[in-house]
Amino acid sequence: MCCNKHTKKGCFSSFHLRITKKLFFNRLILSIISGSASSFSEASYKPSFLPDEELKHLVLKAADGFLFVVGCDRGKIVFVSESVTKILNYSRTELIGQSLFDYIHPKDMGKVKEQLSASELHPRERLIDAKTGLQVQADLPIGASRLCSGARRSFFCRMKYNKIPVKVEEKETQANTSKKKESQKYCTVHCTGYMRSWPTSQMGAEGEGEADKQDSSYFSCLVAVGRIHSHSAAQVNGEVRVRPTEFVTRYAMDGKFTFVDQRATTILGYLPQELLGTSCYEYFHQDDLLHLADRHRKVLRSREKIETNCYKFKTKYGSFVTLQSQWFSFVNPWNKEVEYIVSTNTVISYDNSRTGRSGHKSEQSGNSKASEDCKKSLPVLPGISSASGTMIYAGSIGTQIANELLDFNKLNSSPSSPFSLAQDKSPQTLHQITNSVPNGETSDMEIPGKSSSEGEPQGASFSGGDSLMGENSQLDLDSVVGASLNSLSNDEAAMAVIMSLLETDTNLGEAVDFEEMHWSL
Amino acid sequence: MTADKEKRRAISREAARRRRRVESDVFGDLSRLLPLQASVRAHLDKPSIIRLTLSFIRMQALLRETESAGCNAEAGHAVRFPRGVEAGEGRLFESETEEIAPLDETKMYLKILEGFLMVLSTTGDMIFLSDNVSKYMGLSQQTELMGHNIFEYTHPCDHEEIRHNLRLTAELGCSQKRDFVMRIKSALTHRGRVGNLKSTTWKVLHCQGRVKLCVASSSVSCLLLTCRPLPLSHTLLSTHTFTSQHGMDMRFTYCDQRVTSLLGYRPEELLGRSIYDLCHTLDTSCLNKNHLNLCLKSQSVSGQYRMLVRSGGYVWVESHSAVIPGVQPSRSRPNPSQPLCILSVTYVLSGVEEPSLQLSLDQTFPRYPR
Repeated sequence: MCCNKHTKKGCFSSFHLRITKKLFFNRLILSIISGSASSFSEASYKPSFLPDEELKHLVLKAADGFLFVVGCDRGKIVFVSESVTKILNYSRTELIGQSLFDYIHPKDMGKVKEQLSASELHPRERLIDAKTGLQVQADLPIGASRLCSGARRSFFCRMKYNKIPVKVEEKETQANTSKKKESQKYCTVHCTGYMRSWPTSQMGAEGEGEADKQDSSYFSCLVAVGRIHSHSAAQVNGEVRVRPTEFVTRYAMDGKFTFVDQRATTILGYLPQELLGTSCYEYFHQDDLLHLADRHRKVLRSREKIETNCYKFKTKYGSFVTLQSQWFSFVNPWNKEVEYIVSTNTVISYDNSRTGRSGHKSEQSGNSKASEDCKKSLPVLPGISSASGTMIYAGSIGTQIANELLDFNKLNSSPSSPFSLAQDKSPQTLHQITNSVPNGETSDMEIPGKSSSEGEPQGASFSGGDSLMGENSQLDLDSVVGASLNSLSNDEAAMAVIMSLLETDTNLGEAVDFEEMHWSL
Repeated sequence: MTADKEKRRAISREAARRRRRVESDVFGDLSRLLPLQASVRAHLDKPSIIRLTLSFIRMQALLRETESAGCNAEAGHAVRFPRGVEAGEGRLFESETEEIAPLDETKMYLKILEGFLMVLSTTGDMIFLSDNVSKYMGLSQQTELMGHNIFEYTHPCDHEEIRHNLRLTAELGCSQKRDFVMRIKSALTHRGRVGNLKSTTWKVLHCQGRVKLCVASSSVSCLLLTCRPLPLSHTLLSTHTFTSQHGMDMRFTYCDQRVTSLLGYRPEELLGRSIYDLCHTLDTSCLNKNHLNLCLKSQSVSGQYRMLVRSGGYVWVESHSAVIPGVQPSRSRPNPSQPLCILSVTYVLSGVEEPSLQLSLDQTFPRYPR
């Protein structure tokens, strides 16, 4: 090497240019990292319970994240911490120097570009006014605030991850080809961090900077932590416990379909849009109407899962499949109104002639007329089922049941505060309330600002809540908060909520505390 | 007789004094072994010394466990960088940063994440907290918090949930993630100054982390968490986010224009609609939990859920929400009849999946020409 790495003037061969650039970036990294240290070195020596290295390991474990620094103009990965290997399965050497965009899902590139961009062509910044919650346009000139040191960024993007961990010996050869060999899998990463910019002249780097004259005087980058999102899509799908012979539907209170899972099509023959808007009663077999109507009534008044008996559901081709369903009413936690009824439907048995269109089966007790109607090709219109005529009256069953409930509620209604609504569902909530007393809870604990807490509040048995039909049909305010809050008056309860909400102001719209960050150069 | 009694009393007093002196000496020795600042050490009482010692011992045990587990379990993932072996540019770059980076990376993380680290035992003892906890809670790490039980500092209504998150450490298996929101005492005033311990308010923290199982001794199993307050505003909202306001029942009262390009609804179409209608049925429980968090704790991070796109199919989204008092609240005199509303920032995470699929009633209605 003809140039000592400590000299500032490099020879102008490309190799040495790259060295110079590398030095520039090295110093950048050092400044980023030592910058934070300077604020600590000023304080007197402070022994800590954990050496930094150990603390770092714990933070990495807890946060499941990696630190990265990318340049804003090209997205070049200037630095990435070692923990990235555990998360994305790429080695550091593979990533450093590459463009971040090579590792981002194609559809997210625009999003990430925007987050990194210093272009003046971009729309004005959107901020949220903490007081009104409305968006406001920033008054600052576009470029300045974006590049403003400490401007915060937070976004999600899908990043590639390597399925096979890279081995040490092979990493040299695989570095460029591994991306092509393995299938691309993506995971959702939540990136949070800050923008930083440095004047490159101070860095002492010479040689060719970036092509743009403007950019060459400032090096802007994003310093951020990427965390794997704890509920990535793959996991969520894995946790849904709906088997192939099941499908999920949603009914409005009166039994009309408002949501139909696409699995229904293979089972029932209808496309979702053919069912949507029609009443479920139009498809129930006559013999089953009574018991299903009874269940319908029950589910609207209860918070529990209601199981139906086996019943027959008419398919598109006129035959019937035997289903069995679990229903529960999902109730809005705040205003206690029924939002909809969720139905998980399991196939018990298929009709033999399901595949054919000849609908003459002994199970079809009654209307040959109905089966003929089904064979007519009627235009598909939401709200009017294809089984017309004889079964139309069935649709009104649901409406009637829904109206019953509304009348019932009107009679029983109390002022519409969530905290004082009558407990006409007490038997159900009882089994949800446990009498556990929190550990270490004593009556002299201060609850700031609250007028509640007469004794220990009771908590509900808290299920994981990921599956649709979990232990409890639904968590709701009453069972979680328990008796104590319910016994408050309307005003007191609302006051308690507001007092506990005041703290949120400090989290919204606060300027980042720039003094905290001593970024030295 | 009295002289005898006096003498006995004097002897027992002396003995007691000696015992106390010995006790103080031992405690003093113990406190000097702990990595504490001198100013802090001077003010510690005996229970605090014991608490801090327990923390120290547990942390050491935990780290030993982490190291040994780390070597075994994660060998497949870790890439060791042999120093000074490769020639060329690579080496130049790595060796410099390798030496320096680990030292202050930790502080970088905590700064960027804007949170603190908490290590919780299965019984809820806060074995360890990182230094910067005082910035968020206004309480000092060492004297006031470390070794204490978390249930003394959190809102009673959240205890059940915290206990639920701690409970599963007893089960063997792969390490599990944790993600929940809780309210913790904060001695900070609204302006960020440390106030009186008596006048604490509740701060909402988003805790994320994982279980750290210790096979050797179950008492060392614990929860590692990063805790951070939930900021809602950012200086730049990307094109893939939209903001919305809702009533406390989660019906839309406002939605910004971006929703049209992302989901196909016009903001006017959404007003008065409940968010539950617009999402995939299988995500009902996720939304429910989010809503409950908002009602009870005033801030929430939903998990990922699916919002239905107007013309068919759905997108995966995540919402960060907070309850804010209605327009122009008066802090000094909060009015119970002040309308509260929910402010939500929704990030769209994926593209439109299954665009031809019509799952809900809304999707079947034809679009009217504008």
